[in-house]
Amino acid sequence: MENYLYIALFAPLLGSLTAALFGARPKTLFTGLWTSALLAVSWISSIILFMHVYADPMANTVHVKLIDWISAGSLSIPFGFVVDQVSVTMMIVVTTVSTMVHVYAIGYMSHDKGFNRFFSWLSAFVFSMMVLVMSDNFAGLFIGWEGVGLCSWGLIGFWYHKESASWAANEAFIMNRIADLGMLIGIFLIYWNTGTLQYSEAFAAMGNLDHVLLVTIGAFLFVGAMGKSAQFPLHTWLADAMEGPTPVSALIHAATMVTAGVYLVIRANPLYDMIPEVGYFIASLGAFVAMFAATMALVNRDIKRVIAYSTLSQLGYMFVAAGLGAYWVALFHLMTHAFFKALLFLGAGNVMHAMDDELDPFKMGGLYKVMKPTAILMILASVALAGIYPFAGFFSKDKILEVAFNGDHYILWGVLWVTAGLTAFYSFRLIMLTFFGDERYKKLGFHPHEAYPYMLWAMAPLAVLATIAGFFEHAFIDFVTTLLPTYEFYTHHVEMILIAVTSAIAILGIATAVIIYKNGMLHPKWMERPCYKLLSNQYYIPQLYDTLFSKPYKELSTIFWKQIDLKVVDATVDLVANTFFSAGSSSRGVQSGNLSTMLRWMALGMALLLTFGFIFVVAATLLG
Amino acid sequence: MSEHILSILVFFPLVAGLLGILVDKDSIRPYAITVAGIEFLLSLWLWSEFDMSFAGMQFIESVPLIDQFGISYTLGVDGISLFLIIMTTFVTFISLGSLTITNRVKELMLTVLILELTMVGVFVALDAILFYLFWELSLVPMLYIIGVWGGPNRLYAGIKFFLYTFTGSLIMLVGMLYMAYLYYQATGTWSFSLLEWYRLQLPFDLQLWLFGAFFLGFAIKVPMFPFHTWLPYAHGQAPTIGSVILAAVLLKMGTYGFVRFSLPLFPDASVAFMVPIAVLSIIMIIYTAMVAYAQEDIKQVVAYSSVSHMGVIILGTFALNVEGITGSIFLMISHGIVSGALFLLVGVIYDRRHTKLMSEFGGLASVMPRYATIFGIMMMASVGLPLTIGFVGEFLSLLGFYQQSHMLTLVAGIAIIVGAIYMLSAYKKAFFGNVTKEENKNLPDVNKVELFSLVPLVVLVVVLGLYPKPILDPVDKSVTAMVQLMQAKAVTEDGKNRIANVLVTKEAK
Amino acid sequence: MITLNHYLVLSGLLFGIGLVGVLKRKNLLMLFFATEIMLNAVNIGFTAISNHYGDLSGQMFAFFIIAIAASEVAVGLGLLVLMYKRKTSVNLDTLTTMKG
Repeated sequence: MENYLYIALFAPLLGSLTAALFGARPKTLFTGLWTSALLAVSWISSIILFMHVYADPMANTVHVKLIDWISAGSLSIPFGFVVDQVSVTMMIVVTTVSTMVHVYAIGYMSHDKGFNRFFSWLSAFVFSMMVLVMSDNFAGLFIGWEGVGLCSWGLIGFWYHKESASWAANEAFIMNRIADLGMLIGIFLIYWNTGTLQYSEAFAAMGNLDHVLLVTIGAFLFVGAMGKSAQFPLHTWLADAMEGPTPVSALIHAATMVTAGVYLVIRANPLYDMIPEVGYFIASLGAFVAMFAATMALVNRDIKRVIAYSTLSQLGYMFVAAGLGAYWVALFHLMTHAFFKALLFLGAGNVMHAMDDELDPFKMGGLYKVMKPTAILMILASVALAGIYPFAGFFSKDKILEVAFNGDHYILWGVLWVTAGLTAFYSFRLIMLTFFGDERYKKLGFHPHEAYPYMLWAMAPLAVLATIAGFFEHAFIDFVTTLLPTYEFYTHHVEMILIAVTSAIAILGIATAVIIYKNGMLHPKWMERPCYKLLSNQYYIPQLYDTLFSKPYKELSTIFWKQIDLKVVDATVDLVANTFFSAGSSSRGVQSGNLSTMLRWMALGMALLLTFGFIFVVAATLLG
Repeated sequence: MSEHILSILVFFPLVAGLLGILVDKDSIRPYAITVAGIEFLLSLWLWSEFDMSFAGMQFIESVPLIDQFGISYTLGVDGISLFLIIMTTFVTFISLGSLTITNRVKELMLTVLILELTMVGVFVALDAILFYLFWELSLVPMLYIIGVWGGPNRLYAGIKFFLYTFTGSLIMLVGMLYMAYLYYQATGTWSFSLLEWYRLQLPFDLQLWLFGAFFLGFAIKVPMFPFHTWLPYAHGQAPTIGSVILAAVLLKMGTYGFVRFSLPLFPDASVAFMVPIAVLSIIMIIYTAMVAYAQEDIKQVVAYSSVSHMGVIILGTFALNVEGITGSIFLMISHGIVSGALFLLVGVIYDRRHTKLMSEFGGLASVMPRYATIFGIMMMASVGLPLTIGFVGEFLSLLGFYQQSHMLTLVAGIAIIVGAIYMLSAYKKAFFGNVTKEENKNLPDVNKVELFSLVPLVVLVVVLGLYPKPILDPVDKSVTAMVQLMQAKAVTEDGKNRIANVLVTKEAK
Repeated sequence: MITLNHYLVLSGLLFGIGLVGVLKRKNLLMLFFATEIMLNAVNIGFTAISNHYGDLSGQMFAFFIIAIAASEVAVGLGLLVLMYKRKTSVNLDTLTTMKG
């Protein structure tokens, strides 16, 4: 079984390295096929591991230790990997979506000069994510954490000749780094207080720790999660990350990297169980983000950004569940969301390709006639996202709302409920504007066509999973709760009412969207309103960050250089040197070569010596 | 031969260099590269003969020089200095290998080889006067390199470098002499031998003064804020080989001095000065990172980044526990490799464009993809990405210092953020975007001579990032012994508490 | 009565005159004069003290000084004449070739 672990883990790395050899060369189809094949191998290994673990969850956990990585003093960090219920679920999600995206990308990037480089980065990303979810210690987690940060930098900024793309890449990396500092401090705290970074040992030792300390650890680890999962206020990078190619968005920003934060909270559940107040904060923040992102998606004019905000919103949902202690619910929603969100992104990619990379849905409309398969897939994904029975999103999202209601967190429930309606609304706003209504694109001279068949076939499994995944809920619960804590629901009597209410608002959202956008765009008058402007400018937060942080930092740096380093620190050194130099220059006057002057100096010197001698003798006699 | 390996390592470059005067001008390059290569192989042989399980000094040679004052020619190596020696010989070897200077090559080779003598000498000297001798001697070839083969403002830069460092060293010399005098008072014999000094326990107030004296000498060399302003000029005006050796090795002499002298000789003073030095280190880290961000010249960015990294090294050293000090030594080696590589890379583009201003670049990634990849890897190593060599040392240093102060480590941790900011920004200015300047359109990618040095560096960055154990183990052993010594020697209450008690923690495990 | 003190005061005054002359005079010849005055002032002092204490070594020393002063002036004047031939001036301000 260990061999399958190694295969699942290292196959993407092998693909990445071999593709990198061709990195500078023009497209060779081989790299795309080879990396996709290796990803498929990794996928199959993951499934085998899954079945193995499923057969006997507690006994069949696979645990390997490769080599000792760092050992200094009493610190010992090995490269260790574990396949348990949580990690194997993540592995399945990651490899499934990744394989589909790889195949899709062969078609999507077929005309791109950097084809080989793309697949190298993409597989490297999958490898980092696998390291992240399969590690059995916090340091390994951090390796994967930074690794996905690096790969997302490379992939967001893939089209590096575009200024906006490289800027977005740097923004993502730096924002993640800010959060990583928090995580690093959390790791330090864990080490110095429990003496180890291995999950099992650390969590066991945490039971003996002081409560305030635990809160600190939990808070710092969550700061790290905030960066990766783009929780407010570290959220602006996610929308800007849409600069990268669409397969990147599908893989990284829908299914895998952004869920790393949720994974961290799930993995650290023994810790968060002990500090429910931090959990409540996480949940509240999650609910806030869910609503916050949904409002921005309502008015956005970029199909990828709408889907990005949707991801952000759903991440909020996951954090609500995890924060309130319902870890398996969060994991479940993570899984279902990965499927339908990736599907949505890939569909959007098809639309973009058809429309010559145009992103504004206001310029589309009526594409259903030209791109029926894509439209159907996207509608399916949107319905799953809106949470309509029998699609997967219904099961997972509904459970989260139940969790909120269950703990008597009615405000959270309310926020999430309204957001569910908004979610349905903006998803279908997108669908209506893109695929239905009047065909605005014709006036603008676009000639859309459907994507390559194999790309559609790559999307198909995701569609299937988005549809049926919900029915595996009970099997999932039984499987996962052998490791994760179970969550007691006390709401059985109101369960049906809650389901009805949730579905009602979702259907209401869909209906509203269909009615409003049936015939095309909204009246332009709507866009003049201040609240519309506020939302479409993302609450002016990016501008705020620019004025508060980016510009002052640059100004301060220049001041530090030109005013302080050059004028103060260096000038002091030069001042010392100049003092010596000018002292020497002025004393040089003594050596004037003029006999008269020298005689005067001589006389003066004699007088001084005599005086000193006199004083010395007097002092010596007086002091005895 | 193995008893005298250290003397051979120290003097072989000099002898071979002097013989090189006889060599013909056209074959001086292969000659020098061979000499440096042999030196490197000798240091590798030293590593293979090194006993990994022994924490103290090995290969000790001792010949009395001036008996009345106890000055002797004593050499020795332990886990702390072993890898610094190997790094020195390695960096010299590869930087000579990719040299592109064409005028007065013979003199340059000889100068570099003499410099190698002094650098290796500093790391193996176990007698204070001998250490001082090599320390000061290293300034002369460096001054010569900057002054002859440097840029337009080279005389100012070279003289500033020389005089500034020299002043600090003189104060250190006074400290050494006073220390010897104290030893004479305590034992009745004169001795400058470091191993004998280790056994001397000094009263707290004397420790403070001596620590201060040694501190000035080392701090200017490191260079610590606010004594750092000589470095940007020196780097800006020096030729590539000068910058590489300066950044990779000479700066490490300062931090090595802290570990070898300040910490074990004055443990209580180290504890007392820990917070002020930590504050200085944090200023170094953040302030110079911000200054690096404001630079327009890519070599200056790398120069200021050196200072920033040295801040983390000092922080790790003053963590006064095994994790921190081991981390700082590993970071010394890692920084030597990474910044050596970065300066070589800057040299590559300078050789082509004869400018270092980032506004003159832009879009280089499409013109020189291999160069961009190597630069990218080195940049990520500099930023401290896990699985590169840069992460291990930084992680351990910060982890170590966290035990001493939570708040200060949190502030110091900002290093990872500001480091990313200036590095990514510089990389973007130089490599991303469209190729706007006509001169950039047809630049050749890295050639074989340049790859000769860059490829081994990339390999080291990745391999040691994955598997740092062969280096960490001997360092860990020697550092543990040193920390134990410090703990035992500490006279003040604070000292005993703050310095990690290795015996207890090891037993508790 | 003319006591020892009178002679010493005379000697001191003459020495002072000589010193002022050395410090102020720019003409080399005048410098020699002033130096002579100083030397002779010292002679007076030596002789007076020697007479007062009845010890002849003071007067012997005065003889030495006279002899040496004479030879010094001889050499000095010789150099002065040579220098005048070169520079046609005996002003000290023109002699600054030893400037540091």
